[in-house]
Amino acid sequence: MAVKALAWLLVPALGLAELGGHFYFSTRAPGLDEWRAVTPTVRKLRTRDELVVVAPDWAEPNARYAFGDELMPLSAVARADESTFPRAIEVSILSASAPELRGFKIVSEARSGKFRLRVLENPAPAKVLYDFVEHVRDAKVAELRGGAETPCPLNAHAHPTAGGLHGDPAFPALRHECGGADSHFVGVTVVEDENWRGRRCLWAMPVPGATLAVRFDAVPLGKTIRGYGTLPQWTERELRGAPVEVTVLVAGSPVGTYVHRDGDGWKRFEFPVAAPSPSDVEFRISSPRGGRDRQFCFQADSR
Amino acid sequence: MKRADARSSALDALIAFALGAVYVVLLLSTVKNLGYARDEGFYFRASTNYKHWFDLLLKAPAQALQQDAVDRYWRDNHEHPAFVKSLFALSYKFLAVDHPVFKEAGTAFRFPGMLLSALGVSTTYLWGRRAISRLAGFVAALLLAMQPAIFYHSHLACFDVAVLSMWLVTTYAYVRSLDGGGLPWALLTGVLYGFELDTKHNAWLLPPALVLHFLVTRGVPRIRRDLRAGRTALPLALLTMATIGPVVFYVGWPWIWFDTGRRLVEYVSFHVNHDYYNMEFLGVTYFRPPMPRLYAWVMTLATVPTITIVLFGLGLARSALELPFGKRARQATASERKTRAEAFSNRTLWALCLFTSYAPWLSPMTPIFGGTKHWITAYPFLCLFAGTGFDWVLGKIAALASERLRARRVPELALTLSVLAAPTVMTLHAHPWGLSAYVPLVGGTPGGASLGLNRSFWGYTTGAVQDFVNAHAPKNANVYVHDTALDSWYRFVHDGRLRADLNGTLALSGSDVGLYHHEQHMAKVEHELWVDYGTVAPATVGENDGVPIVWVFIRPGRGVAMPPRP
Repeated sequence: MAVKALAWLLVPALGLAELGGHFYFSTRAPGLDEWRAVTPTVRKLRTRDELVVVAPDWAEPNARYAFGDELMPLSAVARADESTFPRAIEVSILSASAPELRGFKIVSEARSGKFRLRVLENPAPAKVLYDFVEHVRDAKVAELRGGAETPCPLNAHAHPTAGGLHGDPAFPALRHECGGADSHFVGVTVVEDENWRGRRCLWAMPVPGATLAVRFDAVPLGKTIRGYGTLPQWTERELRGAPVEVTVLVAGSPVGTYVHRDGDGWKRFEFPVAAPSPSDVEFRISSPRGGRDRQFCFQADSR
Repeated sequence: MKRADARSSALDALIAFALGAVYVVLLLSTVKNLGYARDEGFYFRASTNYKHWFDLLLKAPAQALQQDAVDRYWRDNHEHPAFVKSLFALSYKFLAVDHPVFKEAGTAFRFPGMLLSALGVSTTYLWGRRAISRLAGFVAALLLAMQPAIFYHSHLACFDVAVLSMWLVTTYAYVRSLDGGGLPWALLTGVLYGFELDTKHNAWLLPPALVLHFLVTRGVPRIRRDLRAGRTALPLALLTMATIGPVVFYVGWPWIWFDTGRRLVEYVSFHVNHDYYNMEFLGVTYFRPPMPRLYAWVMTLATVPTITIVLFGLGLARSALELPFGKRARQATASERKTRAEAFSNRTLWALCLFTSYAPWLSPMTPIFGGTKHWITAYPFLCLFAGTGFDWVLGKIAALASERLRARRVPELALTLSVLAAPTVMTLHAHPWGLSAYVPLVGGTPGGASLGLNRSFWGYTTGAVQDFVNAHAPKNANVYVHDTALDSWYRFVHDGRLRADLNGTLALSGSDVGLYHHEQHMAKVEHELWVDYGTVAPATVGENDGVPIVWVFIRPGRGVAMPPRP
């Protein structure tokens, strides 16, 4: 009976516990000054262009603010995946771990204030021989319609645009312009995947009745051509577009066709390559109903 | 005895007034760094138009009442009725333009919203005082005021806390009309309901709650008997709501004076066919039905202080134990039966108001884009139940205390402080990040971010980075405003909160400074900033408890006096 009566005291105890919980949780994650303070330590750890990953991912803007582009360049932040990075630095708060580094081996671990800093090693990093996104300037782009081929000339000084929330993604100054609508070009941008993560990729939107051909000459080849494709999540989530097909040709012969359907998200493709290195590589992108909502964007490399 | 009653009533009125007044002072003292929300911008613009109509009405009434004048001034934002926006307009006119009481016109627009918030707090006290006890009413009122989301919305020139208060005062007047208040309270109920209708469409949900209350408290058998005897015991207030209410609604909204039928259909249609905007919940952005059925319940648990929820649960439990049915009820004295019946009537009404406020979110077809404000009208009733729970706990704890402690009111003081401390501290700490605040139950704001709960909406957090923008934007900079409506941006500028030379723009490309208000589905905008600005590094981040909420990009080479990176 006495215990039962005393149980009522749990109510004020809970009120005070919630107050204590508030003080605990509100001071647990580091603020901007603490992110700035840890920067020199992270910089010291980064000896070989390691990938810097933040856990949990929602804290990444604080890291980008403090570390800057030097430690977190766009190509790494909006990477296709982690497979090519030999090492990574995981900057962790709240005891979180980065799921994308699962499988990496821990080389070192240190604490600095509210941060846990781990250097991790990729047990099997892929060696990229040629990154097609990085070589966009070297590409030759054309539209194939019937038997005719219309070149899409390179313009390094196009007027950059960005459509905001409901418009097109950012269109860069350097583009292979296919004429017609602004969006008919091949160039590097960043689009959001199915998890709203930014992915740096080659914008290559197929137009109705035509195939977009993106060619690279004398590409150093390894065992495969590997990549990812997606449409911006804003478009893809509608699940009402036609599939987009990408046929990869090496030295003029097809090595595989990737089909991207709405809902696939950031989807990987990988085709084995037997041709001698170097060889010409061509991506042919088409859609039975190409057009405004087929905002295809892909990343690829030879490895 | 009568004198004692009068003294007690006067004291209660004084406490109610003091609670409201202190709340308004608190809101005014914290308004400075709260940015103008997206929707406020639309209401500022509309209210400015309405103010011009009021000017015309004073100058040339006959002209003002003509359809062309009405349409010209009242067309703007006619998807929402006019009562609260008219208050914004009049406050702007009298407290900013005619007499500059407020330095910032934005505060003048917001002031009526603050007063209505205070009305909600005061009415919660008065109802709690009548139905439970003075202390329980006081606690219920503060549990309402001290919720981060309520505190945030209470600052705004918007309709959410306004409709909370209008629903509450209408219901309170309704109860008073049943409780011997007679014709005056019944008439007042009708008038108040008209204003509620003229505040926001949540008002449509109130009549079903009141009718159900009548059916439950009167009892279907008695209603049948009444009908057989050729009479209805229908509360007079229901009739006034059905008659006076629509008249007040009509008179108070000039837009529907002409072409009434078509405009009313358009109004209703807008809200029953509302767009499904995006909203993140547990890491997933929902943008079309089916919406998650757990949304309302999880968000309530994650944002309302847990002690308030626990007291609410205890209040519900006590109410269930004290139902006026069964053996114990039959054995009660007449006076006890009357007390129980009154308590049952109040609690039934609270439960029905609470349920009807949440009911639309039982359907997966109902949009969820507005977060917890959708069912905000439930919160006073949740807090009145919490007051009931508080009173119950107090009785039990007081029984454990010695007579000496009881005589010194130690149990009252200790319990009150222990249940109000966390909500008060959390609410004041959350400012100006009210929509980003989550309770310790889910790990606070960092826990909310880890769970994938929405971090903010309406782009109001520009206010939190205004000083940085003023200090670092280049002269005559184009500032991409992102989710801050341009009308809200201009209000910042006109009020001197942002530099006059800064040009707000929706054109990201070519801008010098880019704001980014984080919502999951907005990530696209940040990616555009990365590409267009050529950097992924924000120049600053506005964060709440370490969680980034809003960040600012400055095009490399354009920032002024930028702090060096470490």
